[in-house]
Amino acid sequence: MPRNASHQILSLKEESSRYRSMAVIFSAMTSLFYLISDVWKLPLFTFYPASNRFEWGWSAATPDDGPGMYWYGWIATASIGAGFCAILIGLLPDRIIKKIPLSITWWTSLLLVPVLIYSLKFYWRW
Amino acid sequence: MDWLYDYISENAFWTIVLLIHGLISVALLGALTHQAMAVLMPVKKIRVDDSFVTHFRAVTAQKYTKAICYLWISSFIFGAWIYAQYRIYVRIPIEQQELYKTLGVFEMKEHLVVFGLGMLPIYSYVWKHMKNVDYDLARKCTTLFLTGVCWYAFLIGHIVNNVRGYGS
Repeated sequence: MPRNASHQILSLKEESSRYRSMAVIFSAMTSLFYLISDVWKLPLFTFYPASNRFEWGWSAATPDDGPGMYWYGWIATASIGAGFCAILIGLLPDRIIKKIPLSITWWTSLLLVPVLIYSLKFYWRW
Repeated sequence: MDWLYDYISENAFWTIVLLIHGLISVALLGALTHQAMAVLMPVKKIRVDDSFVTHFRAVTAQKYTKAICYLWISSFIFGAWIYAQYRIYVRIPIEQQELYKTLGVFEMKEHLVVFGLGMLPIYSYVWKHMKNVDYDLARKCTTLFLTGVCWYAFLIGHIVNNVRGYGS
């Protein structure tokens, strides 16, 4: 195989493992940042569906605007946080990137499910 | 949107959007269940006289990946669009009926579908590299997680829809 071609394959493999690690971190961090923004009231914005009004950050229901929705804001916070972490991971050297295990993707999501259930304790009334 | 309500009622419009959301979810559920069965119990050779279950799991699982990603994202967008209407016209009456557990399991669904959305990049990556045996476990786990979330979301969505009834 010519030297250029083998170098190209090697660099494609490195790019691929970089993307893999970024995707792993993005997935794990989406769940984590989402939960953090839910529990600690950190949505990027609050949306009032009755009046179609947006407010930065967390804001309570008002008599004029009705109930606020935080779900969209939580997704925005989680996406930004996870995207930022994924970019940071993408900047790390290959030897560190290769050590990131794939399993943190599903372990993070699975372990956060009981925390989510607990965070909804208000609803579990008998 | 007001111009549209000259032709169909607002109620009919949101019912159509909800039905589209439901239909996309049915397609997603089918695709994910096929893929999950194929990845858990792969079939090497299929014969005509094999059982229905064997035929069900004897699919080329990799071919479902792109469709699953597109369907998940489409279903998510439609769900997010309906969610604002739900907050005003569905959730408030359910709160007044004090059906808190119904609200709780629905909130859980909204949380889990976001986890699933975040998992899509790595899910599609491990399926794209089908020949890499190092990703076998990742393929199984991500597919099973998405399948579990999809089944949960589908059933809970159906239950919440039934609380208020069709077209209400």
